[in-house]
Amino acid sequence: MTKMGRVISFEVVRSLKKRSFWFATIVIPLIVIVIGLIDYASAHNANTTVQSQNQSYFQTAKIGIYDQAGLINAEIIKKQNIVSEPNVQAGVAAVKANKLTAFFYYPQNVAKEGISVYAQDQGVKFSPPYNSAAETLLRESVDLHVSLLTRNHQIAQILEKSPPITDATYKNGQPTKGLAAIIAPGIIWITFLVLVVMLAYFAVVATTEEKENRAAEILLTSIKSRSLILGKVLSIFILALVQVVIIVIPLLIAYVIFKNHITLPGGVALNHIPISASVVVTGFAFLLFGLMLYISLLMGFGSLFPSAQEASRYLFIIIIWSLIPIYALAYIVSSPHSLIVQVFTYFPLTAPSTVLLRNAVGTISTTDVLISFAILFVSVVTAIAFVVRAFQYGAMQYGRRISIKELF
Amino acid sequence: MPQEPIPKVEIKSFAIQFGSKEVIKDLSFTVNKGEVFGFLGANGAGKTTTIRTLLGLFEPTHGSLSIDGLRYSPKMSSEVGYLPEERGLYRNEPVLETMVYFAMLHGIGKTEAIKRSLTYLRRVGLADKARERLTKLSGGQQQKVQLGVTILHEPSLMILDEPTEALDPVNRSLLMDIISERRQKGATVMLVTHRMEEVEQLCDRILMLKDGTSALYGSIEEVKDSFGGHVIALNFTGELPTNTKLYTIHTKRPHYAELVWAEKVTTDDIFKYLASQSDLHVTVFEVRRPSLNDIFIQLYEGGGHD
Repeated sequence: MTKMGRVISFEVVRSLKKRSFWFATIVIPLIVIVIGLIDYASAHNANTTVQSQNQSYFQTAKIGIYDQAGLINAEIIKKQNIVSEPNVQAGVAAVKANKLTAFFYYPQNVAKEGISVYAQDQGVKFSPPYNSAAETLLRESVDLHVSLLTRNHQIAQILEKSPPITDATYKNGQPTKGLAAIIAPGIIWITFLVLVVMLAYFAVVATTEEKENRAAEILLTSIKSRSLILGKVLSIFILALVQVVIIVIPLLIAYVIFKNHITLPGGVALNHIPISASVVVTGFAFLLFGLMLYISLLMGFGSLFPSAQEASRYLFIIIIWSLIPIYALAYIVSSPHSLIVQVFTYFPLTAPSTVLLRNAVGTISTTDVLISFAILFVSVVTAIAFVVRAFQYGAMQYGRRISIKELF
Repeated sequence: MPQEPIPKVEIKSFAIQFGSKEVIKDLSFTVNKGEVFGFLGANGAGKTTTIRTLLGLFEPTHGSLSIDGLRYSPKMSSEVGYLPEERGLYRNEPVLETMVYFAMLHGIGKTEAIKRSLTYLRRVGLADKARERLTKLSGGQQQKVQLGVTILHEPSLMILDEPTEALDPVNRSLLMDIISERRQKGATVMLVTHRMEEVEQLCDRILMLKDGTSALYGSIEEVKDSFGGHVIALNFTGELPTNTKLYTIHTKRPHYAELVWAEKVTTDDIFKYLASQSDLHVTVFEVRRPSLNDIFIQLYEGGGHD
């Protein structure tokens, strides 16, 4: 085994034994999933709660209205035991006197002026039941009114909720996959961002650890700094691969189990996600080299600091570049030839994220891909040379931060 | 016929500067195969910089530094055992894995590295700590592990930078044993230190570095000779007078002093002068060669020798 192989083996094995690695690999995605589930459950629960609150509210509350607009349906008023008040003052007085639970005032131009609600205090709630009850009463009445006027029940339904859309798109006369084509390259882009964030700390520790432990001198006299750094970069890649595999395996299992049962937003069946070889190859090339660029820069960055703790305070200075293209998403989708998108495509730090996004939305040409990749490749080589230099010099500058100027 | 010494380390016209600061000006010396060489100097004299440049960690501004005739590269690490001044290992890794890792980087196969590591740990009484993380060990135990990493691959050249610094007496004795053993097996030892008693005990030849260049160089006897021969060691009570026409006092304690006599003055002149002092009673008057410690102090405090 070569010395570089020994470095890789040592670094990978000891990282796999660290709790922090498994925390980052399992617990962080798990937390994201749990938060997502809680958010979904909370939204679902809130919706159900509002509906049941409305139903029970009308059953138990004593409600009065003053319908100046003349839109509230008489049958609904009767069915819900709602009291019609002669004017606003009377309704408000009835609430104050505790004769009514709530009083709703629908002014003549309700669409513009809105509904006024006067009600007994129910405590602090994000969605007070009287508000939604006042709105539901108006909406149901309007729906009924439209149905009766048009004698077409669908019109009311369409006004209430947009119907689902199934689309078919064509390019050069050939059917394309539309929005569904974004899914696979989009996953590669998200994977890139997740890995940059998850591996950032590992990359910094890879160079600060020897410095903090004063082990750099022995190491640098035992192995060439280039072999050491390449070994460390590759070991982080292997760890990234392990993380991807650990995250992907449950997703694959879920895919196999649910592929015939789940339809993704946009009406794409899970078993019909389109995968284009050229798009995926471009995606993986930029994922791989983009990661290599970020890992190298983060390692070089770590070499400048006396400890991982101090370096980690400034990590965002590098990580932020992978996220900046998100803010240009509108330009990337609609104006791919604009100056900002072109700059982001060719600037090495924004290139991986921008090209992966453009690759996903299909707004990048082969020429752009090739030029950007060439720049990225040269940047990776330069970044590795930088980290070798930074480690060689910085690793022995114990206990102090060094400037980039000192390296050259 | 005595054998011609074979150089193991050769440093020729070496100079290095960092920015505008010239750390080493013009340094040349040789460490011969099989000898223990003392590389001495005060703090900041440039000893560690020289060692780091010899081992390829710094580039010289001028001159050449070689081991076995070659500029050092990590490919030669199996031949060199280096104990740096700033020492440490992976604190959060188990002792055995750390030792095996470094032994493998020094060119030993994994099985052999495990075997040698365990043998060493048994020898220094740390066999039961093999699976412990380094950080769980005491300072002295960590030093033993560090020494193990330096010698496990049985190097032909050991470069020990301040090896006894912060060592407890047990570990110091262990290090002395290890140096003696390695020497018996033909290894060359380059010892960077400012502990003169160790130098007198271990070294064949020495170099004293001052202001970035060689101030004294040769065998211990040659250095002592070149420094001016002898001193007068006095044990006394009372007040020792100053008399620069006869002597200079280069060591003075409450009842002990070392005097270096002036040119064209004999020991008899000094003895008679001291005996004539009414408030001074000399109990011991001994003419002897200066210790390396005396030379060291005089060199760095007194501005060198002529």
